Amino acid sequence: MTTAESVKVTINGQEFQVQKGAPLIDVCRENGFAIPSFCYYADLALQASCRMCLVRIEKMPKLQTSCTITCTDGMIVTTQSEEIEKAQRGMVEFLLANHPLDCPVCDRGGECELQEMVFDWGGLEERFTERKNYYPEKFLSPIVANDPQRCILCKRCTRVCDEWMGEDAIEAGGRGANTVIGTFGGWLNCSQCGNCIEVCPTGTLLDATYRHQTRPWELERTVSTCTFCSDGCQMSLGSRAGELMRVVARDRYVDGINGEFLCIKGRFAHPFVNHEERLRTPLIRYRKGGKLIPATWDEAIRFTAAKLQEIKDAHGANSIGVVGSPRLTNEANYVLLKFAREVIGTEHYTASEAFSLAPFFKHMTAPLATHKDIRHAKTIVLIGGEPEELQPLTAKQVRQAVRNGGAKLVIINSVPVRLKQQATQFLHVRPGTEDALVLALAGQTDDAMAARKMGVEVGEIEPLRRMIDETQGNVVLMFGGELSTEAQTILAQLPGSIGDEENRRFLFHPLPLFNNSFGVHDVGLMDGKLNATGLLDAAGDTVRALYVAGGLLPAHLQGREQALQNLDFLVVQELFATDTTAHADVVFPAASFAEIDGTYTNNDGLVQRVRQSIPPVHQAKPDWVITSLLADALGIDFNYQMSASAVFREIGEHVPAYQGLRYPLLKDESKPVQAKYQLAGQRAEVADVLAELRQRVERMTGAGDKIMETPEVGHELFKIGTLTGKVPQFHLLAAGNPEPPDVLVSPLYQITIDSGLRRDTAIAGD
Amino acid sequence: MSIISDIVESTKSIIKGMSVTFSYIPKAKWTVQYPEEPVTLQPRYRGQHLLHVDELGREKCVACYLCAAACPSDCIYIVAADDPRAPEERTGVDERYAEVYNIDYGRCIFCGYCVEACPKDAITHGYNFELSVYNRADLLKTKDDLLITKQKQSPNYRVAFSDEDVDSEYKEV
Ligand code: SF4
Ligand code: SF4
Ligand code: SF4
Ligand code: FES
Repeated sequence: MTTAESVKVTINGQEFQVQKGAPLIDVCRENGFAIPSFCYYADLALQASCRMCLVRIEKMPKLQTSCTITCTDGMIVTTQSEEIEKAQRGMVEFLLANHPLDCPVCDRGGECELQEMVFDWGGLEERFTERKNYYPEKFLSPIVANDPQRCILCKRCTRVCDEWMGEDAIEAGGRGANTVIGTFGGWLNCSQCGNCIEVCPTGTLLDATYRHQTRPWELERTVSTCTFCSDGCQMSLGSRAGELMRVVARDRYVDGINGEFLCIKGRFAHPFVNHEERLRTPLIRYRKGGKLIPATWDEAIRFTAAKLQEIKDAHGANSIGVVGSPRLTNEANYVLLKFAREVIGTEHYTASEAFSLAPFFKHMTAPLATHKDIRHAKTIVLIGGEPEELQPLTAKQVRQAVRNGGAKLVIINSVPVRLKQQATQFLHVRPGTEDALVLALAGQTDDAMAARKMGVEVGEIEPLRRMIDETQGNVVLMFGGELSTEAQTILAQLPGSIGDEENRRFLFHPLPLFNNSFGVHDVGLMDGKLNATGLLDAAGDTVRALYVAGGLLPAHLQGREQALQNLDFLVVQELFATDTTAHADVVFPAASFAEIDGTYTNNDGLVQRVRQSIPPVHQAKPDWVITSLLADALGIDFNYQMSASAVFREIGEHVPAYQGLRYPLLKDESKPVQAKYQLAGQRAEVADVLAELRQRVERMTGAGDKIMETPEVGHELFKIGTLTGKVPQFHLLAAGNPEPPDVLVSPLYQITIDSGLRRDTAIAGD
Repeated sequence: MSIISDIVESTKSIIKGMSVTFSYIPKAKWTVQYPEEPVTLQPRYRGQHLLHVDELGREKCVACYLCAAACPSDCIYIVAADDPRAPEERTGVDERYAEVYNIDYGRCIFCGYCVEACPKDAITHGYNFELSVYNRADLLKTKDDLLITKQKQSPNYRVAFSDEDVDSEYKEV
């Protein structure tokens, strides 16, 4: 960015010093002059179609649209006058000329920008007597409902679809008064993020899952954090009478890192919370092979405590394994770790995490990038991973950095991921050879070998290095789970060895899969002796009992189904009956994210609040409460007095990166707090690791075919897991989103999904 | 004061009082022999609500919640739902209808704001005032009690100026 020059602007007779080139509409609003607008949307391409933002600028003929005018020196602006008001009232009258009087049945009623605008700028009566356009309400997908006649053609939807999502799935069609927003072929085959619904100021695009359910003013709103991926979007949960009705990110309710962005999972996958299949009471299997029988909490806790004590006495503390989960809050995982260490005394604790970032955290030599940093980065290097399916907010920020910010994007992947469209350079490598690129980046000497193993030209590596070298601004290094321990270490040390220059800064952005993948590392749960698969492999041998909170990943269980059978005792805390609970001796019903207070740490290292929106359903209890009850039954009182904030205070005292953090400091989602991670210096032992990495790369066969097909939209997002499987719409999407015979009726009523069509389980397992 | 004047004074006031009482005996009587005789209500009397239906018998209410929002005593509870059937088969006039519509007469103050708010003329005040029940929970009236097609009409009242057809909507039950 060029350094901002400050200019003088006079607004309504008051003088202001503002940044040159700032949008006039923003400057006016920041200084307290209200300007109505529909089509203006910060950080999207300008549209100037609604003409509501008119102002008078001296020396310019006619009224000007303040959204397209940038501030220049000496500008004299009037935002309120009879002339302007007349123009604005005229515009509203035109907008309403074709707008139906539908508010009683419109789901946007009560939070509609058009309604609000009409209160302020609308006339009392309508002078147009012509017939209005009429189009029936219809469905664009199982998730997006559309009522074309309500559209005011602000085109926010088409712009977010294009600029945020890179989908370009909806566009305006037709001409003049007959223009409507539509999609090719009448059916939406996109990533179904629902962002078009969110930004639509009217009730033209609507959430079909919340269709005709309630009214916005009936909802109790709670600001919370998404529980589906590591991006940690901020969202507003709307609940009514103990039921979670919808999730939105509308900026009048919540103002987080994601703005109004959410992806399909964040926005639509919440119905699992009140699903009828939620576990209702604790369950006990009194003898192996028997049935799980409902029990009281007292009985279940007593039974579990007695069994754990018995096994500990017979086989020693290390025979009990404790498994947390990167889906649970920091509070839950911390209390679990404390339970493992202090109550049981075992060294066998871990989390059911897909891959460990421990080597990265130990060696990181540059700070973590926030999503804002990504948006304004100048160079982005993405090694492995597929953010558009697994971390959609990151993908959106990358896309905008390239499209709106002119950043350079380099993608190193064995799959031609969709983000490739935005890439300056795409290194299409052989599957499993991402390590080689890290080796090449670490020094020039291995280029030839690395290129050979990856199956790329030697000449393709040098430009990447040069691009990083020449960057003026932030360089964000992103990586997915493909990197080995050694490669993670070397990459983490890379900024330290290249060194910062005056105008260049390195930032990291790891791409773990889960909402609290960072948290499990931070509280120390990933430092146990064995990882989740290790524990399962030792089951029945050195490990006699397992205490699993949040369930095991399907990927870990695959091929190890027998392991759970071999255990003497298995305790599981879960929301639903799963493959893990099928073998459990005791099952505790846990409370979901909408029913608890806590914190998640996202892939920016931001510690964000999860807040209780509804009371726990049935007899569920928060995970950390269950663990403390068990501790209590085993004779150690953690003394948290049922308060999640007491747990977090303890985390703030014991986890170095969270030093000094308290709930009150995390109150404001618009000012998120980043954990203070210790940066490592240059480590001497890195030379050894580099040698190991070189050996590892040398061992690669250099054979194996690259994957040539671009993965389909939604191949991960729409997969059916324990949670997403509770949403009927996901089943339609997972089955390929078939178009129903009649688009006027929800496809849910028309199509029954053959379970044979369903795809396999998502890698994230949700 | 002597005892004599006391007696005189009190007799005077009794006579004064009773003369008012007796003067009413020959006048016309307003006492209604309810429930033997029906009560006459004014046309704009606000009694128990009625939920109306259109000429096809479909409920007019579209579950917009405006009545609930307008209600100062918060006694209206609605659950909206989607009705994907063809227009002729629907429960209501629109795809959106009230699956549950409850009014708590333990709280209702008969202010008529809900009627005022309704954009669909779906709710009005009826004339039924016989709302006493033995169990307080029975004061919660559901759609089955409120729908004009289902509400039982009491024989215990008549509406003034009934020749003007004010309660012609009532069905014989
Ligand atoms: S559908 Fe909504 S967001 Fe899109 S142009 Fe119409 S009013 Fe604007
Ligand atoms: S991008 Fe991630 S955090 Fe954001 S809504 Fe989607 S799953 Fe949730
Ligand atoms: S205001 Fe009328 S249409 Fe709306 S919910 Fe109440 S009765 Fe139904
Ligand atoms: S906001 Fe400026 S024209 Fe729409």
